[in-house]
Amino acid sequence: MSMDIILAQTIVNGLMVGMIYVLMAIGFTMVFGIMRIVNFAHGEFYMVGAFLFAILYGSNEMPFAVSVLLAVGATALLGLVMEWVVFRRFRGNELNGMIASVGVALIIQNSALLMWGASARTVPPVVSGVLSVGGIVFPWSRLVVIIGAIVAVVSLNLLIGYTRIGRAMRAVAQDSEIAQVQGIRVDVIFPAAFVLGVSLAAFAGVLMAPVLSVSPFIGLAPTLKAFVIVVIGGLGSVPGAVVGGLLIGLIESFAGTFVSASLSEILQFLVVIAVVLLRPQGLLGRKEREA
Amino acid sequence: MKRFELIAVLAASVVCSAAHAEDSVTIGVHASFSGAGAAFAEGMLAATDFATEDANKDGGLDVGGKRYKIQFKQYDDRYRAADAVTAMDRLMIQDGIRFVVGPMGSAAAVATKDQTTSGKVITMTLAFTPRALGADAPFAYRPVITTGEFSDPQVAWLMKSTSAKQVVSLLPNDETGQQIGVANFNSYAKAGTKLQVEYFERERVDFVPILTRILMKADGLELGGNSPTTAGLILKQARELGYRGPVFVTGGDVSAEMLKVAGKDAAEGTYVHLPIDTGLPDTAAYVARFKAKYGQNMNGFSPFFYAGLQMLFTAMKKAGTVDDTTKIAKTLDGLSDVPTAMGKAGWTGEQKYGIKHQIDLPFYVGQIKDGVVTKVATCDVNACK
Repeated sequence: MSMDIILAQTIVNGLMVGMIYVLMAIGFTMVFGIMRIVNFAHGEFYMVGAFLFAILYGSNEMPFAVSVLLAVGATALLGLVMEWVVFRRFRGNELNGMIASVGVALIIQNSALLMWGASARTVPPVVSGVLSVGGIVFPWSRLVVIIGAIVAVVSLNLLIGYTRIGRAMRAVAQDSEIAQVQGIRVDVIFPAAFVLGVSLAAFAGVLMAPVLSVSPFIGLAPTLKAFVIVVIGGLGSVPGAVVGGLLIGLIESFAGTFVSASLSEILQFLVVIAVVLLRPQGLLGRKEREA
Repeated sequence: MKRFELIAVLAASVVCSAAHAEDSVTIGVHASFSGAGAAFAEGMLAATDFATEDANKDGGLDVGGKRYKIQFKQYDDRYRAADAVTAMDRLMIQDGIRFVVGPMGSAAAVATKDQTTSGKVITMTLAFTPRALGADAPFAYRPVITTGEFSDPQVAWLMKSTSAKQVVSLLPNDETGQQIGVANFNSYAKAGTKLQVEYFERERVDFVPILTRILMKADGLELGGNSPTTAGLILKQARELGYRGPVFVTGGDVSAEMLKVAGKDAAEGTYVHLPIDTGLPDTAAYVARFKAKYGQNMNGFSPFFYAGLQMLFTAMKKAGTVDDTTKIAKTLDGLSDVPTAMGKAGWTGEQKYGIKHQIDLPFYVGQIKDGVVTKVATCDVNACK
């Protein structure tokens, strides 16, 4: 295998992992930006989305599109319930909200363990085979993840940039009180933002389910990655989440391919430390205004 | 495992421990019920469930003319050494348990060794590390056959059968992985094959970057020592990258779970360590019993723990006590040719570990063919045929 081929494969691997991280981090950072809650239960919605997709598409052999819609929709509904029951009480209360989110994560994870068992399950590939271009082999399953994630990110960008609710979300993220004075119904925007974030996590879970495997424990790693990414990109910054996600995905892929897996973890956290020291607000984040 | 069955077993364990009868013995199941190794833990729990059910059949275990009801309680170490110590403290101090099925992982076994030794708690560990057994741990037993026993003969047979010359291995970067890495490296070296060992963080699920590099020059992939889920994921991703060479899983019984994760096509032709021979009537009966109760294929370690508990109960009866663990351990040490679900079992390992606390049973090499594991060789610690 020549160096060109390895390089191309490494980039594709990094983009795939990076795009999943982007989906996770966008939801994570949106919830923080709008509700000021560091949601450590975010990865559990990824897990629930993946599980529901595994049940619908894998076990019940429902059509792919229907399975995706039902899995993401049901997870979004769970998110709505969680927002209503738990998170709405912690809006703006960062520390208590974070602790509550850890509790919600444990409840969801252990509920999944009781309902679906500890054994990992697999989902049949949505597409199989490889795309071979000039000797470079790209598994179709991974290309589908990249395409799906790009579609989700572009759709989200359009939603936030060009729709009424998107503009309202941006206004609430900037200053919820002023937004309320301007007639924006923040009581609608908060749950809407939370559900949107949860839906992105669920969609990431759906995309990754056929590539990896599904078990009640798959949520923790993406949550930690999302946290690292939003620290790099800037808490509350959607473009920052995109840049951070791709950066971490590519670091992971390049370090894993050319050096060692352990070094890839070290490198990621070195980047985090460097960003926190040199640009505490993150690569694309804004400085908090001092009172 | 059927969900309601698992919940019933969990509930039973809680109820059993709550209703602590006067003439009763509680077995603690100390394992990783959450995390990547949960399939092993479920196998250990099921073995304890069956063994206690059998012991209680005629009104309890007859020890010294008195009937003791056997019950069990589970403790989750979440596959982490620190949590293993906490769980063992709860088990020993809070609940006063003196007999343990577990610890499960090597890190957990090493971390809790001093606790269980000073508390004279008899343990039946799944830990593959050689440090789990020794003269300094007179109450620690291992009812499963580990890499230390099966690695050399299996690898020698596999290298002869496949002619692989450059094999790569992926292992988690912790106590378990590193011990297995060293053992595998030595076994491959003895067989004249170079083994390159690559370590990764246990939480990792995407192995493609590492595989892209390490499979470039390899003509064999060794996955022994990984949890069933991880082995399945690596195998699936290696095949997706176009790797068509032989795959060896020389550590642990991961076949059922690995097949589920990797899929039948990706797993085709994979050589696996086969701990049990379902051709033996008692073993086949155990497998059928597991399937009937839990509705799924069992992890291959499960009957070993059942056999270990059979030996423990035999020792209790012979020693005439359920309280004096020193006397029970001494009696257990002297047992040989005990009829178990796996055939007649005894203890070995004095030369290797300095103490005869390693179960002595034959083992096998299997190959996955069309989604089914077929026995292709029978082994003892000296050779596979």
